Amino acid sequence: MAKPNPAKIRLAVVGCGAVAQIHHLPAIAASDRVEAAVLVDADEKRARALAERFGVPEVATDFKDLPGRVDAAVVALPNSLHAPVSVELLRRGVHVLVEKPMAMSVQECDEMIAAASAGRAVLAVGLDFRFFDASLFVRNLLRDGLIGPIRRFDLRQGVIPRWPFATDFLLKKEMAGGGVLADFGVHVLDLLLWWLGDLTATEYRDDAMGGVESDCEMTLATASGVTGTAEISRTRNLRNTCIFEGERATLEVGVWDPDPEIRLTIADRAVALAGRARPSESGAGSALNFTDVFIRQIDDFAKAVRGRGEPFVPGTEGRRSLALIEACYARKKPLELPWSVVSAGAGAGRETLQ
Amino acid sequence: MTLSAIEGALVGKRVLVTGATGFIGGRLVERLVLEHGAEVRALVRNLAAAARLARFPVTVLRGDLASAPDLAVAIQGCDLVFHCAYGTSGSQKHRAWVNREGTRRVLEASRAAGVGRIVYLSTLMVYGQTGDGDLDETAPRRPFGNAYSDSKLEAERIALSSGLPVAVLQPTAVYGPYGGVWTEAVIKSLKTGRQILVNGGDGLGNAVYVDDLVSAMLLAAVRDAAVGEAFLISGEEPVTWRELYERFERMLGAERRTVDMTEAEALAHWKRWKRAQPHAVGEALRILKAEQPIRERIERTREGVWLREMASTVLPESVQQKIKSRLGSGGRPSRPAAAELPIHPMTPQMIGFFRPRTRVRIDKAKRLLGYRPAFDFETGMELTEKWARWANLL
Repeated sequence: MAKPNPAKIRLAVVGCGAVAQIHHLPAIAASDRVEAAVLVDADEKRARALAERFGVPEVATDFKDLPGRVDAAVVALPNSLHAPVSVELLRRGVHVLVEKPMAMSVQECDEMIAAASAGRAVLAVGLDFRFFDASLFVRNLLRDGLIGPIRRFDLRQGVIPRWPFATDFLLKKEMAGGGVLADFGVHVLDLLLWWLGDLTATEYRDDAMGGVESDCEMTLATASGVTGTAEISRTRNLRNTCIFEGERATLEVGVWDPDPEIRLTIADRAVALAGRARPSESGAGSALNFTDVFIRQIDDFAKAVRGRGEPFVPGTEGRRSLALIEACYARKKPLELPWSVVSAGAGAGRETLQ
Repeated sequence: MTLSAIEGALVGKRVLVTGATGFIGGRLVERLVLEHGAEVRALVRNLAAAARLARFPVTVLRGDLASAPDLAVAIQGCDLVFHCAYGTSGSQKHRAWVNREGTRRVLEASRAAGVGRIVYLSTLMVYGQTGDGDLDETAPRRPFGNAYSDSKLEAERIALSSGLPVAVLQPTAVYGPYGGVWTEAVIKSLKTGRQILVNGGDGLGNAVYVDDLVSAMLLAAVRDAAVGEAFLISGEEPVTWRELYERFERMLGAERRTVDMTEAEALAHWKRWKRAQPHAVGEALRILKAEQPIRERIERTREGVWLREMASTVLPESVQQKIKSRLGSGGRPSRPAAAELPIHPMTPQMIGFFRPRTRVRIDKAKRLLGYRPAFDFETGMELTEKWARWANLL
């Protein structure tokens, strides 16, 4: 095993599910700012298998003895454990990069933010879509008003997942906190919040009937009164773009791809511009993939840990999408699915239809 | 539809559904929970496919039909088992194995757990190539000649000779929201090419809307007369294949997506298509077929997994076309004019399937189960179209 490198931040990865395996560990291995020192999972066999694969020296089944052994932790546990585990680590001075969604509720977010402050620790949230070049480009373009005042926006995001789930936590309300809105939705709502500023949910519908929703639709309004719609699905392949209709031009950007096409159509003009975002100084550049994105994210976290400022997505930013999700669930109405109507005949099913 | 006849019969009953992430099993679970107040368990192999199921208060158990311990845990304490799962991934041989041995294992576990009723979902295909005129359950069972149908025939025999309280349903072409072979695959096939209508599509398509089939399954779970019997389940009246394909064509717009051919013309088209296939592909496929370790390594790649998932939702003969068009297009799917679209080749077997004017009789299900189809073709297709539009398939 490699000896600890004092130049690198020593990390624990807490939770060895699919996202740790597919995104975090490869990114950590590729980064020269961090190294994985301990893998933590209740399933020791799984932790050991991943430790072997990624050359991580230690494994543990409990996160409680991490303080003192590591500088920081990536918390990639089921959603219901994000807050309790992060709070304990942060209080004891361990910096935390917590997976999305940040927590199960705004109250939990606040507890995490307070714990970070008490432990003088960095709290970053894994809303990795903000690290896409396209996301920053769209933010700048909208903020600079290049398409004119926005009239409306429309976001459709839906994919049938092929994710190699290690456990079934995402199917359980008490562990996931919600369905597709909390899972996919948090990414795209976070982008909308980052692009447009604060949003209010004026209407929200989903298809959960005693479990977690697979499909949802909502109407959102910006502080200046611009309204838009969002539709999110994990049973359908949708357009996977967000369209902003401005007075001068229409902007369409992919929202489920680290290197999406961006399309700019000037009002009443027959020819549009379609292309990809690239860092201004890097010439042609190359397509960003998810490993690059997770390297950017972990490097940004490492920089913040070294004391050079706030992470790109701090806890206060992670809290915003949680607040919007909470507001959506609070005004939930059933999604209308005409083909799905049943005659509530006998028994307990009836009340879940309400 | 109201199943007032069995109202209350399933309240609080503990029910295992295999294949619950699929088209029919998925709708069955919805209705068991919402309409009948049953306590549902689902044995699920692929958690990524369980999003629709997780909308309801059901117990999702991760496991595989091939695993006796998984099945034992899932079936323990159940009053009722609906066995809807079938082989959808891996080689044809493996799929056939899942159909046959998976059913055997479900039955063995049910026997051990003392399950009160097992409803097994078979298929019309157990009657092989059918002829003109009426078809009922007294017709001889015989192989159709493909791995799916023939292994389902074996599984049905195993179920009916098990001595267990089994009811077997033999649905015709099941269509409806979330439908695969007879819904989504038809739409995709009409989007990527043109469909041959054998003899102008005057053969009879016996089709059933998913909710009618699910109603029959619920009746078979409750009615004592169902035990030890097999039931053909179809809509009230057949439609011609022309009517069926033209209804899907209408969903996609005005353009013709079908081509009339005689049997001889369809066969000639198949032969031409086969001859035109590049030899290298055939050779590569033969190598892959013969060299299992190589095949498995390729199947485990991301692309391999993806391709298999894609392939599992469609009819075998359209698979190659579909994958080709997917891989070829890049970017946004374009819609070439219908006249430029290739004519999907049809195997001689499928030509034989589309030819006859078979009229499936549902009298036995009506008599013994009290089955009454509630959706005629137009009503079922209207709902299907609404779903397809929502599902971004049109």
